[in-house]
Amino acid sequence: MGTVIVVTSGKGGVGKTTTTANIGTGLAILGKQVVMVDTDIGLRNLDVVLGLENRIVYDIVDAVKGNCRLRQALIKDKRFENMFLLPAAQTKDKTAVSEQEMKDLCANLKEEFEYVVIDCPAGIEHGFRNAIAGAEKAIVVTTPEVSAVRDADRIIGLLEAAELKEPKLIINRIRGKMVKSGDMMSVADILEILAVDLLGIVPDDDAIVISTNRGEPTVIDDKSRAGRAYRNISRRICGEAVPLMALEEGNGFWSRLKSLFTR
Amino acid sequence: MNLWERIVRFFGKEAAPEKTGVIAKERLRLVLVHDRADLSEVVMNSLREDLIAVISKYMEIDLSALEVTLSKEDGSVALTANIPILSVKRDVALKQKEAL
Amino acid sequence: MKERELTESGGHTMLVQRTMRSGQNVNFDGNVVVLGDVNPGAEVIASGHVLVMGALRGVVHAGAGGFDGATITALELSPTQLRIASHITRPPDGEEAGEGLLAPETARIKDGSVIIEKYQAPR
Repeated sequence: MGTVIVVTSGKGGVGKTTTTANIGTGLAILGKQVVMVDTDIGLRNLDVVLGLENRIVYDIVDAVKGNCRLRQALIKDKRFENMFLLPAAQTKDKTAVSEQEMKDLCANLKEEFEYVVIDCPAGIEHGFRNAIAGAEKAIVVTTPEVSAVRDADRIIGLLEAAELKEPKLIINRIRGKMVKSGDMMSVADILEILAVDLLGIVPDDDAIVISTNRGEPTVIDDKSRAGRAYRNISRRICGEAVPLMALEEGNGFWSRLKSLFTR
Repeated sequence: MNLWERIVRFFGKEAAPEKTGVIAKERLRLVLVHDRADLSEVVMNSLREDLIAVISKYMEIDLSALEVTLSKEDGSVALTANIPILSVKRDVALKQKEAL
Repeated sequence: MKERELTESGGHTMLVQRTMRSGQNVNFDGNVVVLGDVNPGAEVIASGHVLVMGALRGVVHAGAGGFDGATITALELSPTQLRIASHITRPPDGEEAGEGLLAPETARIKDGSVIIEKYQAPR
């Protein structure tokens, strides 16, 4: 029996879909049976981030409405045998799926998969309520910006009201240098304000843009810093205790020299 | 920042402008106080009842004129309770004397 | 609609006089002609032939009722996915769309699989 995890944020553009793709792929790298579900009906994107857009025949609405069997709507990844995608519908009404249908869908999926990772649409309306309907755990993604953290706070409140206790936080697009110079809120600042557990931090990394252009989750590239961050997050989801990665780039000569002086 | 300003700051004659990270955190803290203060009717009612219960131990209050509100102004949020007192309970006054 | 009508008389034809964007779809019993592009995320489903007077980058399903003789023609054929009757095909992985000179192309079923060839007016 698997676990259903919803990835949400409230605010759009903070990296929910990228996070879903990387966590899902990261879990698959660890050998888990994974299915990712795109619930952003009408604005599907997870397929493109995963590079699976040209394999879609049936979608979540077809699967839920019985136009096809659930198995037929699941798209097998081209890199990992044990990873699947259930794409959102693009040309259908966004209220096409009900909360009860989502619950049933999640119950079916977790029979077969160890992890069901749900990509939630932005906002707090129908799509959000659907996405969380069948979830047992929640991951909240934010960036170190006032607007994103504020929306994360709202979402955490809504998750708690929906009995999704103890959501875990991912802080995305952290820039070590800006935090150091005091021009960006630090991880500690954000945690102090939101008062939730941290699942991981992901540095702002060009590798994300580059790999997304290709339709390949960055987590596959273990040389990229963001990729490593997502690997760590995936391992933490599996229950491993992995220390947080350092924000600063390496420990070069200059930074060592500087720390010598500032000590 | 020109060289002179740098020198002035180096010698600490002028306070350095607040870092934007700190500003962000402060603004956020305030915004969240506002957001979270949008308490539901249910929460406000239960707060009201708890207040009445506590205060009634010490004094008799006019329940019909009791007002509990959250007021938001620039920079702060305040819980304002307007509680007309009808009388202070005798035993409270006695207890106070005993304590002295 | 009968196959003969679609192939010989052309059957009913729907004219779409705009570029179709992501999320838009057309579902028609007959042929469909699009005067514009079909963008990724847009979908054309027709029981007959489909002709795109522009770039086809989305999904087209021709012969949706099971008509094997249906064709898909576009000035630029670089679809997300093509379906003809019960056949489904997609561009091979790792191949960039739009290599070399772009010329009108037609997709049709030959010997049980979807083939793509340079457009030639029927003689």
